[in-house]
Amino acid sequence: MEHIGEVIESSTKGFIAQSPKVGESPSFGTFVKTDSTPVVYGLVYEIITESGEPGRKPTAYDMSIDELKREQPQIFELLKTEFHVLTIAYAQSKEIKFTLSPLPSPIHSFVYECTNKEKKELSQQDFFLRTIMSSSNISIDDLIISSLSNAGKIRKNDDEYIVRMGKSLSRYFKDDYERLSSILRRIL
Amino acid sequence: MLNFHLVKSQIDTMLGERKHFVDEFGEKIKLAQSELHNKSQNWEELSQKIQQSKTSWLLAGISTSLNITSTLPERPINYTAISSDGSQIFPDRHEALPCYLINISSVVLNYGDNSSANLTSDPVLFYKDEDRFTFWDGKKVPANSNVISHKRTLMEFEKLLDLANENSDRENAISISDGTLILWSLEGTPSDFKKAILKPFLDIIKEFKNLRIPLIGYISYPSSTDVINTLRLGLCPEKVSYCNQCPYTELPELPCSPIEGLTDRNLFSTLLKQGEMSAVFRSSSKILESYGDHNIYFFYLNIGQEIARVEIPKWIAEDSEMLKLVHTLVYDQAKKGKGYPVAISESHEKAVVRGKDRNYFFDLIKDSMVKADFNVSISRKGVSKRVPGV
Repeated sequence: MEHIGEVIESSTKGFIAQSPKVGESPSFGTFVKTDSTPVVYGLVYEIITESGEPGRKPTAYDMSIDELKREQPQIFELLKTEFHVLTIAYAQSKEIKFTLSPLPSPIHSFVYECTNKEKKELSQQDFFLRTIMSSSNISIDDLIISSLSNAGKIRKNDDEYIVRMGKSLSRYFKDDYERLSSILRRIL
Repeated sequence: MLNFHLVKSQIDTMLGERKHFVDEFGEKIKLAQSELHNKSQNWEELSQKIQQSKTSWLLAGISTSLNITSTLPERPINYTAISSDGSQIFPDRHEALPCYLINISSVVLNYGDNSSANLTSDPVLFYKDEDRFTFWDGKKVPANSNVISHKRTLMEFEKLLDLANENSDRENAISISDGTLILWSLEGTPSDFKKAILKPFLDIIKEFKNLRIPLIGYISYPSSTDVINTLRLGLCPEKVSYCNQCPYTELPELPCSPIEGLTDRNLFSTLLKQGEMSAVFRSSSKILESYGDHNIYFFYLNIGQEIARVEIPKWIAEDSEMLKLVHTLVYDQAKKGKGYPVAISESHEKAVVRGKDRNYFFDLIKDSMVKADFNVSISRKGVSKRVPGV
């Protein structure tokens, strides 16, 4: 399996990875993992494409992407795409623990998309929703919607699963009906 | 520390004196334009005068009418632009070890159907005796900034040749160097040093000719006056001019003076429309006497935002198809780079060593020495510059 990123900044609560190619990051809400020991699992919550060199800023060329690739190929070498990952679990001796990893992933660890089996395991309980909700400086509602949709898809939109997670959300948002309603309407 | 109050008053004085030139500029340009057209009628006569005269300025050699312009040829869809640039950290005797570094960049940009970009740089550390010393007029002397700069220039051209060889199967490749192909700064250097730089440089020009890949020197916002000087020669009433025997020194103004102060850029900005190139002229720089069969020619090109000077070896000047290719590719490169060839601009970005990189480089040497149990000492001047006290 090809790696989809390389860790370039790492902390206990998450990490930042750089995509091997500009513009080719895993999508928002994807379940990803590192190849480090322990394996760190997380959710993509931010994707940024920008100049790879400080002091240089992209400017408009008034060309389509295809034209740019033919006539200004160097700009794709000067840009970089990074994605930010929120840690939701880690694996010790193949057993997934739903808490922060005791050690962050080493810099330059490779990042892979989780297998369907891992995605199922990571989303089987509502721990990942709790982790999202207790985070700051991320788009909490959208990440809940996106990650739950992804978890639903691999279960072929199993109603029982969606209802079970919906119930968890209703417990979390018991004091904020409007917010809960907004999230649920966007998932279904 | 710079006292800007004192600088400002001197700037004002400078501008006051400059205004006088600006007022006369319009008249000078008109005269230069009419001279360019007049002398184009019988350019052969002027060409002969150029060859026979001895002036105190560089003259543009002519082999066509002076005022011809060529419209922009169609650009081939697929082409490759190659460039290289260099930057250095000079040796500093106040630092821990005597060494220096040259960083050489490589840029290969493929356009069209199989487009791609390859941008890299390779630093080389010089610390051995043969690198730190050079032969200068028979004596072994430490390599100073002048020597290192020449060495860097040569390394840039060597890199250009390597890249040209690697891309010789590409259609329509062009190799673009930032600055002149005329190594005039070697004039006045001892013959052993001059030879050590010039011989490999001329071999490189020859290799490019064998590869049939044009090697060009691009000069942005040129201040050269070769063509203006040729027109000044045309203004001189003498049949053959010898500046050191000028019979007009008693006159209030020399006959060649009315267009003095103009640059070729000023003149060609009034003649060339966007995309057009001027006639091809031959440089008469003294160093070119050592270039043998590889004399350097040049033309001016209106790239839209400015007039650029493009220098080419003789074999390109004599090959009209190659010249057309150079014309259209250099223009396209400048257009892509919004007024400056993108290949040169990227090779500069890859090569550049900034002030903080320089400090880190010397810190890295010291740290490595400490880790390897070397005794590290730097001069008090070095310490003082890094940590100025109050």
